Amino acid sequence: MSTNTHSHGSHAGRILVIALHAFTQLVRMKVFYFLAVFGMIAIASNFFDLPQHEGPEAAGVNVLRSIKSWSLGTMTLFSVVLSIVATALLLPKDVEDRTLYTILAKPVPRFDYLAGKLLGVLLLVFVSLALMDALMTSVLHIRTGMVLEQQVAMAKAQDWPEDAIASLRAETLLHGPNWSLQGAVFAVFLRASIMASLALLISTFSTSTLFTTIISFLIYFIGHFQADARDVYLQAGAAGEGVFAKLASLLISLVLPDFQLFNVIDSVIEGQAFPLLLLAKLTLIGLFYAVFFTLASWFIFAEKEF
Amino acid sequence: MTSLMPDTTPAVEIRNLVKDFKTSFRREMLRAVDNVSLKIMPGEVYGLIGPNGSGKSTTMKALLGLVAPTSGTCAIFGKDSLKVDSRNDVGFLPENPYFYKHLSGAETLRFYGKLCGLKGHSLEDRVSELLALVDLEQARDRRIGGYSKGMLQRIGLAQALVQEPRLVILDEPTAGVDPIGSRQIRDLIMTLRERGITVFLCSHLLEQVQEVCDHVGIIFRGKMVKEGRLDDLIAIEDQTEIILKNASPELISQITTLVNNSAGASLVRTGKPRTTLERLFLRETTKGDPS
Repeated sequence: MSTNTHSHGSHAGRILVIALHAFTQLVRMKVFYFLAVFGMIAIASNFFDLPQHEGPEAAGVNVLRSIKSWSLGTMTLFSVVLSIVATALLLPKDVEDRTLYTILAKPVPRFDYLAGKLLGVLLLVFVSLALMDALMTSVLHIRTGMVLEQQVAMAKAQDWPEDAIASLRAETLLHGPNWSLQGAVFAVFLRASIMASLALLISTFSTSTLFTTIISFLIYFIGHFQADARDVYLQAGAAGEGVFAKLASLLISLVLPDFQLFNVIDSVIEGQAFPLLLLAKLTLIGLFYAVFFTLASWFIFAEKEF
Repeated sequence: MTSLMPDTTPAVEIRNLVKDFKTSFRREMLRAVDNVSLKIMPGEVYGLIGPNGSGKSTTMKALLGLVAPTSGTCAIFGKDSLKVDSRNDVGFLPENPYFYKHLSGAETLRFYGKLCGLKGHSLEDRVSELLALVDLEQARDRRIGGYSKGMLQRIGLAQALVQEPRLVILDEPTAGVDPIGSRQIRDLIMTLRERGITVFLCSHLLEQVQEVCDHVGIIFRGKMVKEGRLDDLIAIEDQTEIILKNASPELISQITTLVNNSAGASLVRTGKPRTTLERLFLRETTKGDPS
């Protein structure tokens, strides 16, 4: 025992070690195989083009919309499923295999363990989305070039003036790969991050992976109409106009994230811009829920006995 | 050891430990550990023995902060077990550990080493040193999923030692391991003792505990029923053992006569001492093995 090994490390260092380990663990579970499925979807979405006969301005735009819609839809599906299932799986597996004992028997605070696991899942989701984004952007870039070529040829054949052609180009480029689209992908990541931290919270008190998965998906779906339900509740006056109703509403929105805020992704698919202010707001909301759920997880996990 | 002064802080000090668990359905309290106290001084090898479900593992988990005591206290080298820094000086091997199947032996040790703040060359040196210690150098790059039970226990022991702890806690270290693997683990425990590392192990394999431990505690239904130095506990004070080699029947007869003629003494038993089945097994299975 000659090696001098008395260094205890930092919180950040330990969190990073656990995060990279969780990432490796998930990668070695072969989760990246789904990228092949995504690749097929991204390529297949090229063929969902309805014939257009109105004029050059409409030619091929639908296919760009289709690529974005299918790609972002698939990204949402994969990222949400991955974040919920992976998070729901990691904790119970460690308890079952008793590997958790060996980790917590080291000088590892329970918060570091939780934060590391969550970060590992988020890293996996981020890398997956980045790869899917790269594929989508490439397909969209190539297809936008083809669409533009087709539109310009049609416009020139119909003797459009140069400024009208330039305007048509600008219009079409809104449907191509741009910063708004990257913002939409980031919004998909933020939504998946909220779901991962929520699944982490549920898995700290749940008894099985299945329970965590089902409850997380349930909350995900509730999150899509909770804002409407809240509005109806408040406007119907069923709860009165008092402070209680507002407090109840605040409490619901604190525990159940409002996923309607992420509907901006649909607008981006339609070619609209993603306002920077909205992106900042979504980032803050995502950060708030991720931190809130992680702290709540820690609160439960710190008292848990194994 | 740099200091010449003996360390007087106990490696383990458990005082009046009580642990109650709620039963699932009826909300009745089940007392798993009932007022257990024990003290292990640095360098000792302490065996906690008792039948299954007697509270051995719960006592160890309380010592590691994995369960919170209902009452009483646990400390490692004077530090409260519920505090994270008490774990700087302890390594733990749980019963039937599995570890991460996707990692190799070396990666597993690297992972645990990094958790303890090791890095760079010192980490790599430590990993190689430990793999050599537990005789797993050949399997260093093989996935843990393909390890045998004995290899798993040994890599488990290596991870417990990664940060050079002064105390090692082993929960049933030889459970389910074949006699050869079991012997290797016992040899490792002996090595730890020679290096001055305190070992706290629990087992229900009494012969093995007797072989490696110098102190034992017997726990039964959550209570500590006997505790002390092994030699003191198992010695039969009013009997003396003489083992002779190549003794002729005449010599035995003379000794028997001498004993019978002396006042107060009596011959309890004569016969040939037997080897254990385990020793016989080890002798037969390692005959052709040069090591």
